[in-house]
Amino acid sequence: MSSNRLARVASGFAVCVLIAIASRTGAQSSSAAAYPPYGPSIPVITNTEGDKGAYNRDLEREPPPGPWDSESLWNMRVEGRDDNQARPIYQPLIVNQNGREILYAGNLAGTALNPLTGVSESNGTSIIDVSNVRRPKFLFHIPGPAPIAGSYAAAGAQMVRVCGGNTLPNASSTGTAGRWYLLRAFGNAGANESHQVWDVTDPAQPKMLTTVISGLSNTHKSWWECDTGIAYLVAGSKSDGWQQSGSAQHVYIYDLSNPAKPVFIRQFGLVGQQPSADVSSAKSCLTAPGENCYEGVTNPPAGVHGPISMGTTVNRVYMPYGVGAQGVVQIDDRLKLVNGCKRSGPGGNPSASLNCATRPTQADLLWPQVSWITMNPENGAHSSMPVYNVPVPEEQTNFVDGTPQSKSLLFVSSEGTANNCFGQAPHDAWLLDISSETTPWPMATLNVPQFPGDFCGKGARFGAHAVTEAIYPPYYGKIISVSWFNAGVRIWDIRDPKNPKPIAYYIQAPNQNTIASCSTINGVTKCFNATMNDYVEYDDRGYIYAADRAGTGITILSLTGEARAATLPASER
Amino acid sequence: MKTKLTMMAAALSLSAATFAHDVPQLNAAMIAKIKPGATTKAGVQSLLGSPWRIAQFNDCGHAPPGQADETWDYRGTEASGSYRLHIEFDDRGVARLIAKIPDHVPGGAGTAATIAPADRSGEKMAMKM
Repeated sequence: MSSNRLARVASGFAVCVLIAIASRTGAQSSSAAAYPPYGPSIPVITNTEGDKGAYNRDLEREPPPGPWDSESLWNMRVEGRDDNQARPIYQPLIVNQNGREILYAGNLAGTALNPLTGVSESNGTSIIDVSNVRRPKFLFHIPGPAPIAGSYAAAGAQMVRVCGGNTLPNASSTGTAGRWYLLRAFGNAGANESHQVWDVTDPAQPKMLTTVISGLSNTHKSWWECDTGIAYLVAGSKSDGWQQSGSAQHVYIYDLSNPAKPVFIRQFGLVGQQPSADVSSAKSCLTAPGENCYEGVTNPPAGVHGPISMGTTVNRVYMPYGVGAQGVVQIDDRLKLVNGCKRSGPGGNPSASLNCATRPTQADLLWPQVSWITMNPENGAHSSMPVYNVPVPEEQTNFVDGTPQSKSLLFVSSEGTANNCFGQAPHDAWLLDISSETTPWPMATLNVPQFPGDFCGKGARFGAHAVTEAIYPPYYGKIISVSWFNAGVRIWDIRDPKNPKPIAYYIQAPNQNTIASCSTINGVTKCFNATMNDYVEYDDRGYIYAADRAGTGITILSLTGEARAATLPASER
Repeated sequence: MKTKLTMMAAALSLSAATFAHDVPQLNAAMIAKIKPGATTKAGVQSLLGSPWRIAQFNDCGHAPPGQADETWDYRGTEASGSYRLHIEFDDRGVARLIAKIPDHVPGGAGTAATIAPADRSGEKMAMKM
């Protein structure tokens, strides 16, 4: 056998092994590089349901979870774990970095021992190589801020985004070609928090590059369009004059196409939050629209949690306000949002005010706004994520002009923050119909009941939190994965968007690293070892990452059974 | 074979050393001096040293009503097994709750805790359990 032929056979064998491994683990190969935030494309969703849809479909019955000290799975399999040095995680992000799968985890505030350095470090950003999901390798921990006056209340580095220099525009002229950049929040709620950029080209040796903005009082979840460089940073500042109820945050938009040289574009928020709003006399924009009104049900409106941009093709940015109460969801025209303080050019506003970028008028804020919808004040908008053009299986013929009907959806969740459910309303998630985006309207509720599982008695938080933000095409428009604190990762089949069906879950077992949650119930104070799934996220192989807010680490999962089948083309099921 | 045995012995002694470092014997008399509602962070540190881990759960720096602002965990061992000494502080830096939590509680049932009188009266939770 010639060496060339041997090489071809070996190569073929390697491919077969990879396919076999992918098939066995439930992961499916598909590149996510073309989709937001890395590119402007949106996956096309095909109808894989029968013409009856999910209505009365004979789904596998959901099994009750096991005892509170046990791991519970349904249609999911554990592939790997990492303890994240016992640090509580807020948000994980998995990036295919030149063929290596790197997990970046934004951690909540606190401190823990870093075994790599032997030093107890303030919780910051964990960097873990998860190329081999069965043997994750902890590469580096970038520390967070030091405590202030002995308190960690202002510390942590909860949010992460990563862009490759080759995807950022003008790579050759800016020198970003071949490099990788991490954008992270630095600090939480002190008086001098910031957003930073690190060079993570070598994820085992990250280097601080620059501070985008400092002097902030509240940071939160950012978004970074890698193909344009536009970043939407969430923060507040005691000195900039913006007004919010509850979480004091609005949006700072930057051009980070050259991450070493951030360029400020503008600040943005909901009408009624701008510094010039006269809060004492403002009326509701719903009942008394005028030149000084506020959107939503509270004056001034609640702060934004985390914008999601769907890039240049769709030209929309989704802004959830309120987190867990007084919620508003806003849809914005991206081009008008980014360029709305210019008086000419694409998206420019000929009537933009002189101080539009920092102290906008109400008219400046209205320029990019497509629509907004007010939630029940018991709920806030924590996360939002669109899914475009989901076929409605039972409406493929005979409606409208006889053509197949589809719906564009906006997932919205409200964050539950109470332990043991006490003191607040239930926090659920919803699918909004945004097919007519000037009139968004709720289509379905995604709910996890407290029984079976007795989640209100289990300790810790019970309720919705966040949805996946990575676009993995085989899952896009087929399933939706939501973190539900002590009820774990919850997955719905949304192929019939009018009838979403629970199809999988994973509840992590507590271990010796789990931070106890304590409550006084009926006069008795007890502490529970309860995990809290804070975020769930996908990588570009289809693995699902469950991050624990209670310090129990990361679990890497794959889909099995009916859940996996829901993500496959009809011909492969 | 001799080399293998030497390596195994070295590995065992290393893991024992690590275990001893990670799981010290907490002094029961010192723990008893921590009074919810009175003892500060500095007081706890002077009694027990630096904690194994500190955590602050809150998104925006403010604890929801009835929840800790900051938690300190110490690892310990006793005859019945390993545990975490869990101490919660309020936003003034005063201990509000202390509990000795076994690493594994069968069934996940909770563990009794001692809470500051002010926090106890502030809780009006009543549930069908």
